[in-house]
Amino acid sequence: MKRLASMSSGQRVAAAKGMPFSNSPVLTAKLSTGRSRFVLFVMFAALLALAGRAIWLQGLSKDFLQKQGESRYVRTLELPATRGKIMDRNGHVLASSLPVKAVWAIPEDVKDAPEAKLLELAKLLGMSKRELDKKLDSDKGFVYLKRQVENDVADAVVKLGIDGIQTRKEYKRYYPEGAAMAHVVGFTNVEDVGQESMELAHQKTLAGVAGNRRVIKDRLGHIVEDVRAIREPQDGKDLTLSLDSKIQHIAFTQLKEAMDAHKAKAAGIVVLDIKTGEVLALANLPTYNPNDRGALTGAQLRNRVLTDTFEPGSVMKPFTVALALERGFVKPETHIQTAPGKMTIGTATIGDSHAHGVLTVEQVIEKSSNIGTAKMALQMQPQEMWEMFTSVGFGQQPKIGFPGAVAGRVRPYASWRPIEQATMSYGHGISASLLQVAQSYMIFARNGDTVPLSFQKTSAKPIGQRVISEKTARAMRKMMEMAAGPGGTAPKAQVPGYRVAGKTGTAHKLAGGKYVNKYIASFVGFAPVSEPRLIIAVMVDEPSNGKHFGGDVAAPIFATVTANALRALNVAPDTTKTNIVIPAQGLKESI
Amino acid sequence: MNARVTSVLALALVASALFLVNAQYQARRLFIELERAQAQKRQLEIEWEQLRVEQSRLGQPGRIETNAKRDLNMAAVTPARTQYLTLGAK
Repeated sequence: MKRLASMSSGQRVAAAKGMPFSNSPVLTAKLSTGRSRFVLFVMFAALLALAGRAIWLQGLSKDFLQKQGESRYVRTLELPATRGKIMDRNGHVLASSLPVKAVWAIPEDVKDAPEAKLLELAKLLGMSKRELDKKLDSDKGFVYLKRQVENDVADAVVKLGIDGIQTRKEYKRYYPEGAAMAHVVGFTNVEDVGQESMELAHQKTLAGVAGNRRVIKDRLGHIVEDVRAIREPQDGKDLTLSLDSKIQHIAFTQLKEAMDAHKAKAAGIVVLDIKTGEVLALANLPTYNPNDRGALTGAQLRNRVLTDTFEPGSVMKPFTVALALERGFVKPETHIQTAPGKMTIGTATIGDSHAHGVLTVEQVIEKSSNIGTAKMALQMQPQEMWEMFTSVGFGQQPKIGFPGAVAGRVRPYASWRPIEQATMSYGHGISASLLQVAQSYMIFARNGDTVPLSFQKTSAKPIGQRVISEKTARAMRKMMEMAAGPGGTAPKAQVPGYRVAGKTGTAHKLAGGKYVNKYIASFVGFAPVSEPRLIIAVMVDEPSNGKHFGGDVAAPIFATVTANALRALNVAPDTTKTNIVIPAQGLKESI
Repeated sequence: MNARVTSVLALALVASALFLVNAQYQARRLFIELERAQAQKRQLEIEWEQLRVEQSRLGQPGRIETNAKRDLNMAAVTPARTQYLTLGAK
């Protein structure tokens, strides 16, 4: 070592004077081969380590590193799809999704927030401080404080600037028509997924598919460029219903008035377009406000028109009579003895409320005679009657694409006893929903054929299925016009200016397998008779203000709804008597 | 000669590099502008939806009826006080 040090100090001057490197005495110095090899080995090992590291970074963990890099500036943005609107037949919006905000928190970060600000936050979110504290007292890394907050409120929350409180975009469904349309339109949950009625039935097409895009963001959060092609979101398709909000409003308000007047438990109404089979209005009471579903009960949710069955009672009589006419047992003017107003079949006795004596077939419908109908029914085969009921839709699941629509019940004809055949001829021992009853009257209102119903607006003419002949349909229309006339069971169904036809029904309710003194009053009719446009079916459950007959309770609702709906549809009056209708009451106008 | 070609090429290279920087800058600036316009479009669409809902809410038949009765003293027309004229009748 000593030698080396003295030599280097002696040579430094010489080297500076330009001695070639190859002559440097350092090179001639003898080093032990072990040490030089060791140095060589170490250097080579270091080179290998570098190369290995390079291969490791460039080759093996390239994907991982690129991902890490991207995650620092590439962002995937969710592009949410908007749920389709629901509209009525005139393009009136019935349901629409609008963006709102969800307010959420990271409880850990909120802990240090000043009390005063939290108090203000609670006030903004419309909750008490204790509720807010309870939500924030959580181990989770993420808690929703409130969902579906209006944008201006959410902006105010952001302005408070509390650490750990964030907002997120989401959608809220608005129902501008509120309670009147609730049972047809239905509603969605907080995630904007359909829960009831049309919202549920058309969930797939309404929902749409969310898209996304990958972008590079700069330090300020601006999007700088797209990394790959944008996956555009596919918005949900709009749904146009067959409903007419004007007629729906008329039906709903009239039903509500009548229900209050008769102190009824529930009520339902349905209005059908005879030409197209479209449902123009459908209302149930009690109902609910789809915008505020805080205290929702099962009774409010129930879509009685579709899901509740009842014994239709006398509204079934026209089918028995139509079948008798078709089979040629009777003609409209054939006489039938109904005295003494009682009839014993086997061990059971059926009867009329009044003894009518000899009636024509037309009058059997006009006066709604059970005996007359039963006598005709007993001449028929059970199978014929069963086929008649089934072909107009009784006991059949309606094909309307509405969740929860029931089929009702018509027992198989093989098990019918004569007494049952007789009572079924006037609508006892059968159950049906109001919608089925309304649809069944298509054969009378149209010229003997029936068409499928639709909740969606259609432009195509439906294909009818013939059940009875045109001649029979005409004869039945005449009988039902008599029933809804001065001499019939439902004079209150008459509408000034329009000819109407229909049939009342009053049935006892069943409770625990026995008939009790509670009633369901119903009326099914159509108008104008000269060229029918609308079928309107009304049902009032347990009217308990003194009146309970279909002719007193349900028929007046039919009359007012018919009068207003035909006016709303611009249907010309068709009374043959006169073109000028004299005022029933003096004019009361303030000008 | 050689040195001149080199210097011209060097100048051209510098100029092209500067143009590239400028082009990239312009692209990003325009992209941000496009983004802003698209955001505005979405915002306007939302507003349009809100207005349609509002129109529907204000156009509820029930609301129109009560307002017409209360504010304008109107009454529903009934066939009883309607005079129908038949075209071509004497």
